[in-house]
Amino acid sequence: MTPQLDLRNVTKRFGGVAAVDGVTFSIAKGEILGVIGPNGAGKTTLLNCISGVYRLDGGDIRWHGVSIAGLAPYRVARLGVGRTFQIVKPFGSMTVRENVAVGALFGSDSERPPLRAAFDRADSVLELVGLRSKADLPVSALTIPDRKRLEVARAVATRPKLLLLDEVMAGLNNVEIDDALEMVRAVHETGVTVVLIEHVMRVIVGVCERVIVLDLGRTLADGQPDVVLRDERVIQAYLGERYARRLRGG
Amino acid sequence: MTTSQRWQRILIVLGCAVIAYAVLAPLTSLDGAQALNLPLLTDKLWFRLATITAMFVVMATAWNIIGGLTGYAAFGNVAFFGIGAYTTGMLIAKAKWPFLLALPLAPVAAAIFAVLVGLPLLRLRGHYFAVASLGVGVAVGELVQNLDYRGEPIFGGASGLFMPIFAVPNRDLYFFYLMLGAAGVSIAVTWAVIRSRFGYGLIAIRENEEAAAVIGVNTTAYKVAAFALAAALTGLAGGIFAQWNVFIDQENSFPIAYNVEMILMALLGGTGTVFGPAAGAVVLQLLIQFLSGSLPITLDLPFVPEDAMPVLAQVVLGVLLALVVIFAPRGVIDFFGGRSRLTIAYLRRSLRETSI
Repeated sequence: MTPQLDLRNVTKRFGGVAAVDGVTFSIAKGEILGVIGPNGAGKTTLLNCISGVYRLDGGDIRWHGVSIAGLAPYRVARLGVGRTFQIVKPFGSMTVRENVAVGALFGSDSERPPLRAAFDRADSVLELVGLRSKADLPVSALTIPDRKRLEVARAVATRPKLLLLDEVMAGLNNVEIDDALEMVRAVHETGVTVVLIEHVMRVIVGVCERVIVLDLGRTLADGQPDVVLRDERVIQAYLGERYARRLRGG
Repeated sequence: MTTSQRWQRILIVLGCAVIAYAVLAPLTSLDGAQALNLPLLTDKLWFRLATITAMFVVMATAWNIIGGLTGYAAFGNVAFFGIGAYTTGMLIAKAKWPFLLALPLAPVAAAIFAVLVGLPLLRLRGHYFAVASLGVGVAVGELVQNLDYRGEPIFGGASGLFMPIFAVPNRDLYFFYLMLGAAGVSIAVTWAVIRSRFGYGLIAIRENEEAAAVIGVNTTAYKVAAFALAAALTGLAGGIFAQWNVFIDQENSFPIAYNVEMILMALLGGTGTVFGPAAGAVVLQLLIQFLSGSLPITLDLPFVPEDAMPVLAQVVLGVLLALVVIFAPRGVIDFFGGRSRLTIAYLRRSLRETSI
């Protein structure tokens, strides 16, 4: 079966530095995949490559077998690839409901709703992510965790088949992370493939069936969370040489 | 109902009555008024003033579509006005077309030009776009005046273009209503845009272009479409102006001052709103005319000679622009409709928001 998303040798350079260096993996429909890695591993760059924000310097990205490398971001979105930004980018002059409704108005090519239906869809998405009671507030009245929810809600409203979440848990405390995980599960259960990009390992273990570890732009490991997290190269990349030696009993 | 709401309602009703009188009175009682020698209705100057005001309503409202809704500060919209004026002007003066056949081509030509310059220019952001569009505004005027073909100026050159006078009874009234119609169309278009998918896309671009793109907004197409729409409306005003004024040249069709004035009007009234730019245009145009001594009521200031009044008008406009941007960044329209009240607290809050 053709995978939903297939990355082959994806490479992105900034000047002489390869931020993403020959990354290859594929995602099956309905999966919930975690992508982790230390700072500067190339996680966000990889996401920007997939969503069309960056042009590739090498390799190919295929959506259901068809290359989407070089497509403009709005075209990728219309195919059904939704994403959020690590630093949230809400539409500041709009209410929470309007923000989400704009997502519903545009987004994936399948059945673009008229205005009224878009607002109805916004309400049901707000229900899903737990922002229903704040629908009429201006964005400025939202707390940081709620702004992250809004970012997810707007992306979900675009009817994505694949949702790329860029560090939606970053900066949240443990209780807020649990709430956010609940939300991600709820979105996944609606049939959306989810890619969670995270810095914090704890998050990934709880919810992902499969984890990919990036380091310095390369794939370090790919597999089930418990296996991957015991991988010595992963421990080394994350926790440093000295810690890894101590684990080995050195 | 609170006292302030009651006052607001009274003011709105009064305002509507004044506008209705100004718009409709000439139609019913022009001859009667002339017989009675009523000041506003007999004066040719009044029609001129009213028509110019309506013209600025069109320009400020059109600017609002690209500058206010889309958030791209276009500083060269006067180019569209001039292109509209010269399109009708050329068709009438050189090709001998009738005015009403030539007029519809003014917005078309302006919109086509906007698409051509918009495609490269709208890739620039912020002040880069502002400066580049200003350059286009200046360049088009110069080109129109200086383009020659075999030693003959193509567009009339420095001596401009003359058109035959459009023969209709009550000519002043006719052009006033024509311009008023264009103003109505501009406001109606803005109203419709704000309530559409297109409008939400434009506002999304203004608020965050990258976020708009990844939810599926074709940002380039939307920006160019907004620019072309603004150009078409501005070009329409230019087309009407050409035949109304009978004579056009670089100076009256590409005045750089219009760029600043239309933006100031939109800012003063309230960018991104339907009626704000129109309200700003009326208020500011009356103020400009008042300060330059064109209104029946004039201002006699000590130490200011009469011929210095237009200069004073420019100074007042500059100070006003600074005050509005600092203290009322959402425009004067914010005080109507019960959203905010003009209080010291409002001004202090605005000052906090607009300063770093």
